Amino acid sequence: MRIVVLVKPVPDPGEERLGDDGRVDRSVTAVINGNDEYVLEAALKLVEAGGGEVTLLSMSPAGITDPVRKALAMGATRAVVVSDPALAGACSWSTTQVLAAALRTLEFDLVLAGADTSDGGGGIVAAGVATLLDLPYLSYARRIEPRDGGVRVERLSADGYDVLDASLPAVVVGTQLLGEPRYPSLRGIMGARSKEIAIRSLADLGCGDRPIGGAHATTALLGTRLPAPRGSGRVVRDQDPVAAASAIIDFLVERRAL
Amino acid sequence: MSGGIWVVGEADAAGALTKLSGEVATAARALGEAGGQEVTGVVVAADPDGAAASLATFLPAVLAVRAPEAADRPAAAVVAARIVALAAAAQQPPAYVVLGASPDGRDLAGILSVLLEIGVLVNATELAWGQATGSVPAGPRVEMQPFGGRVLTSSGFTGERGIILLRPNMVTAEPLAAPGSVEGRTPGDVVDLPPVRVVERVTTESAGASIEEARVIVAGGRGVGGPDGFTGLRELAGLLGGAVGATRAAVDAGWIPYASQIGQTGKTVKPAVYLAFGVSGAIQHKVGMHAAETIIAVNRDPDAPIGEFADLFVIADLAAVVPALAAALRARIG
Amino acid sequence: MTAAPALGRLTDDQRAIRDAVRTLARERVAPRAAEIDRDAEFPEDLRVLLAEQGILGLPFPERFGGLGADLLTVCLAIEALSAACATTGLILAVQELGALPLLLAGSEEQLGRFVPGLASGRELIAFALTEADAGSDAAAIRTRAVRDGDTYVISGTKRFISHGSVASLVTVFAVTDPEADRHRRISAFVVETASPGFSVSRLEHKMGIRGSPTAELAFDDVRVPAVNLVGAEGDGFGLAMRTLDRSRPGIAAQAVGIAQGALDVAAGYAAQRRQFGKTIGEFQLVQGLLADMDARTEAARQLLYTACEEIQRGAADAARWSALCKLVAGDAAMAVTTDAVQVLGGYGYLDDFPVERMMRDAKITQLYEGTQQIQRLVIARALLARER
Repeated sequence: MRIVVLVKPVPDPGEERLGDDGRVDRSVTAVINGNDEYVLEAALKLVEAGGGEVTLLSMSPAGITDPVRKALAMGATRAVVVSDPALAGACSWSTTQVLAAALRTLEFDLVLAGADTSDGGGGIVAAGVATLLDLPYLSYARRIEPRDGGVRVERLSADGYDVLDASLPAVVVGTQLLGEPRYPSLRGIMGARSKEIAIRSLADLGCGDRPIGGAHATTALLGTRLPAPRGSGRVVRDQDPVAAASAIIDFLVERRAL
Repeated sequence: MSGGIWVVGEADAAGALTKLSGEVATAARALGEAGGQEVTGVVVAADPDGAAASLATFLPAVLAVRAPEAADRPAAAVVAARIVALAAAAQQPPAYVVLGASPDGRDLAGILSVLLEIGVLVNATELAWGQATGSVPAGPRVEMQPFGGRVLTSSGFTGERGIILLRPNMVTAEPLAAPGSVEGRTPGDVVDLPPVRVVERVTTESAGASIEEARVIVAGGRGVGGPDGFTGLRELAGLLGGAVGATRAAVDAGWIPYASQIGQTGKTVKPAVYLAFGVSGAIQHKVGMHAAETIIAVNRDPDAPIGEFADLFVIADLAAVVPALAAALRARIG
Repeated sequence: MTAAPALGRLTDDQRAIRDAVRTLARERVAPRAAEIDRDAEFPEDLRVLLAEQGILGLPFPERFGGLGADLLTVCLAIEALSAACATTGLILAVQELGALPLLLAGSEEQLGRFVPGLASGRELIAFALTEADAGSDAAAIRTRAVRDGDTYVISGTKRFISHGSVASLVTVFAVTDPEADRHRRISAFVVETASPGFSVSRLEHKMGIRGSPTAELAFDDVRVPAVNLVGAEGDGFGLAMRTLDRSRPGIAAQAVGIAQGALDVAAGYAAQRRQFGKTIGEFQLVQGLLADMDARTEAARQLLYTACEEIQRGAADAARWSALCKLVAGDAAMAVTTDAVQVLGGYGYLDDFPVERMMRDAKITQLYEGTQQIQRLVIARALLARER
């Protein structure tokens, strides 16, 4: 099975900040978005069981490749990174167009993406990509299973899960329930050095003269402010459990929560 | 002349309107008043009547679209196809489409963004109408709280159209004095999106209120120590009229289902009260609950990060405090 | 692997490996450290983890399934693991120590027979030189290996053998020619612990590295095939010394890791703990302690990295470099961990915090693979030899 995993480099959670231009500061250490590691693990398990390869697809204005190297160290075969200065400040609509254009240059049976990104939320790009490519879209997967030339996905629901079937190729968005991602082995880390990372510009994808990128963003950041400080918290220590429980109740009453 | 604001109401498995949809409708209505825009509700479902009637308690006009395929297809594709058809058939397509940021809402927003060729603002915590400024025309101003709430941002659309996803529990749903009208519609020329078939719907737990809608959340982390510890938390949640949440550590350990997980790869909540037991407060969890109005944490570790942002930090053994608190609450009620 | 670059600069691979092991140490090893110390049980689960991640394969040639890492890289891994748990860092250090005689002097046939299992981490190997009456005076060992046809029969007792009870192979040093000169009497053998006559007669209860089994091994007419002789008869003592020249940096790495781990706990504590209305980190006496701890740890680290580079490139005075880094790092670890307990005050004395364990763990780095006193003799001799 030929699987493409969409990986988004995001700032290390806790280190995120806005740069002077008001955009997410991407010079901060980049890691792969949390959920992308889970779907990558699922992809690696699928090809280990049934043969095939995993290709990583990533988009980064500055051509950031470190998080992609870690994913290669986990066992992916190769990576494609779309890098173009015009992409700085791109909105999700642009991202959707670019990823779809990149996928049109690749051969695949399955496209996997993680359910959300930690640096601005979303989870909508994969749905848009599927629509542009006219592929079946299955989301919030807790389990992915190939079946007779198609794919079966268990999709999380409010009270359990729905079992979905679709033909391949398809786009699937996965959740952490797919299973804990592996640590890259040292052999994988050393082997990753020789794996191919192909850099593509917008022009390479045939998008050079389309209204894509930061200059054509559909959304704009207008301002930022700091939230009202929470106020210093109160600390209760060295109290017996009954006194501690009373302190909690009194506080809830004080806050009109009880 | 703008095409107005459409609100997409979401129906749950039983066909009832979700609580989030009422919140979205209320927010959109206020937006419409501020911006001089007409607001119309849309419900697409196998049997839309109940949800449409509910949505009409919040909006002056609601379109109800019957879509039998919704019975065995994931909702987003079915709803998207019909909204696009409605938009094409309307005198003017909607300028803004407002949805709830539920899983189906996110899917729908992604599909609509491509079919309608408009951008999306996700994770809105507040909606307002703003005048033209710089490169941005008059239109919705969307507040978001990225980076675990460390900063508040305000964004708008560079064009005159867009899709907005509103987070749960940010707005209190307020019905109209008198309900609006419901009109059935059957749009023609519905696009065929690639089929995905629902083979089976499996129930693994009772469909209680989603944790995102709870006013009070009692959460447990690694310090709870095991599934038995969550029994005490469930009791507290029951006494406080709330829901039980958990950190990823507790979910990964198998002590509580993923549906209760709060945080970066789980749910984001904004309850009135967040009562955390044995939760360290690492950033991956904090991003999911920092917006709670009152945060109380009980933890044996005086250096736990949660102590830095809790309104009340109780340094104590939760194993003793949980039963003591339950007893004290029972005494108050009794 | 590419050669190590100028002092203080790691290659991309070295940095990547160090970071990967650090992550593993933080997420999987550190949570187990207190329990390993408390229960004094060998962490088999972590041995499996190190094997699966390829960490135990670092010192071994690629053609036998290892990663062919250089000495500095192996030390980076030991350092990273030891910062979380000295016992776990020792798993890699002892695997290297036990296998070094083979790697230095084994035949291709021996390497092919033994290394694949070791590189995969499925099998552990121990180093058995020390005896009850022969510690610092290693040449005085009495374990005997007598040739009988195409086997050697080994009898005697070894003491203080790390991993002696969990290893499947042991490199044993025994006297093959009692009449020969002091440094030509001994030979080295690879012995399979499943052999009849081999037994673990005692396990020690120790101050620190309590999860690492330290065993007394009894050899009761253990028959070893002659093809398991490593090098030639009489090469054993020299081989043991050359082994220690290469393995001492591993202990220095363990010491630097322990020191860093203790420093991190102390600095974090000082930044949080409040007394007299301030964090204790704002008091100069505490700042002085922390600064000295950092200076000693960093100095030991930089000396270690330089020593690794020198030894790897075949410096003539490898023995001096090896002894220097182990001497400085061992003393640094003891001083830094003691000061870490001091910074934490009364709390540092409790097992609620890891520093008292780190202090107990640190002591062994001044004792094994040559006491600090032996290191000084090695250094002085090298200096004086230059003067002749």
